[in-house]
Amino acid sequence: MNTKSASVIVCVLWLLVIPLAGRTADLPPGVMRIAATPAPALRLDNLDGKPYDLADTHGHWRFVHFWASWCAPCRREMPSIQQLVTLLGDTDIEIIVVNTAESEDEAFSFLAAVAPDLVPLMDKDGLVTEAWQPRGLPATYLVDPQGRIQYQALGGRAWERPAYLAFLHGLVQGLTTTPAGNR
Amino acid sequence: MRTAAQHVTLARQLAVLLAGSLSWLSATADDRTFQRPYIENDDLLVRLIPRSPDQMAAFYEARGFPQAALDRIRQTCFVTVHIENRSTDVIWLELDQWRFTGDGKPLPRLDAAYWQAQWDDIGLRQASRSTFGWTQLPPVRDLQPDEPVGGNLVFPAATKVLNIEATFHTGADRHGKPIRLGFGNIGCSK
Repeated sequence: MNTKSASVIVCVLWLLVIPLAGRTADLPPGVMRIAATPAPALRLDNLDGKPYDLADTHGHWRFVHFWASWCAPCRREMPSIQQLVTLLGDTDIEIIVVNTAESEDEAFSFLAAVAPDLVPLMDKDGLVTEAWQPRGLPATYLVDPQGRIQYQALGGRAWERPAYLAFLHGLVQGLTTTPAGNR
Repeated sequence: MRTAAQHVTLARQLAVLLAGSLSWLSATADDRTFQRPYIENDDLLVRLIPRSPDQMAAFYEARGFPQAALDRIRQTCFVTVHIENRSTDVIWLELDQWRFTGDGKPLPRLDAAYWQAQWDDIGLRQASRSTFGWTQLPPVRDLQPDEPVGGNLVFPAATKVLNIEATFHTGADRHGKPIRLGFGNIGCSK
């Protein structure tokens, strides 16, 4: 078998594995299923001054990530989220990154270097972040199309890895099991 | 032939032995060589890093904290703590289950209520209060398998050497076998 054939087979297997993994696999490491609760309000301006309201974006899954540039695990994780955006492509899941209690300069100078495609929402006084009650920074929540938090990631995660991609694809395709009674 | 994983394990074992040796040497030395305690086993990874007032003031100054806040921060002793749950069960971080002593006497931990009073006193803006809060070790956390947590413990400036006895309850209902760890000779760097 030549290299080209092997590559094609790997790609085909990958396409098959993504949806199947979402259906059958356990949760990827560090992702915790929680009792579905309505997501707290998330109404903020982004780095460009454009207003955003989570309540206006129901109808698809949202990946809501809280971070700050001084936080070492956040700094390590952010390139992974940039990669995730690229790898998800047109997948119907919205990536929302929320900067906690920093200035535009601090957020921009960090993201420009490691995640230039991400435009954060600016929680300038940190109160929106506190309303979400994260277990720490960084914090990631997965909000379902009805606006309920269904999953929480513990600490920083390597989102570009196959297990996480498969899980997120499974959510979007409705293949990943949601907690009983939460549908 | 050893695998890479076996080499890593061996290296870790040697590091633990070396750390243990250094700890003993330090404990018996007349000149104080402060430790950066580190424990790693099948259940937990715990690392403590004493910080100097200048380090901490520089960190918060870079985050836009005003001079009045930096002055308060300089009057204290910071120890950065990093913990990871390496087990397959819930491990409880509960700071009220930790005992802090110095020179044989109990030491108070400067908790969120202390800092709120400080910040109220100088009128610190909300963004800085939020940032400061996120840099503190949470007082309670049910650490899930594979979950890390980090942050600072803060003590009065008069603290010179700190000893910590940390008790972690285990199990979702806290009824598992508790884990007890001791850390000694932690210095408040000047």
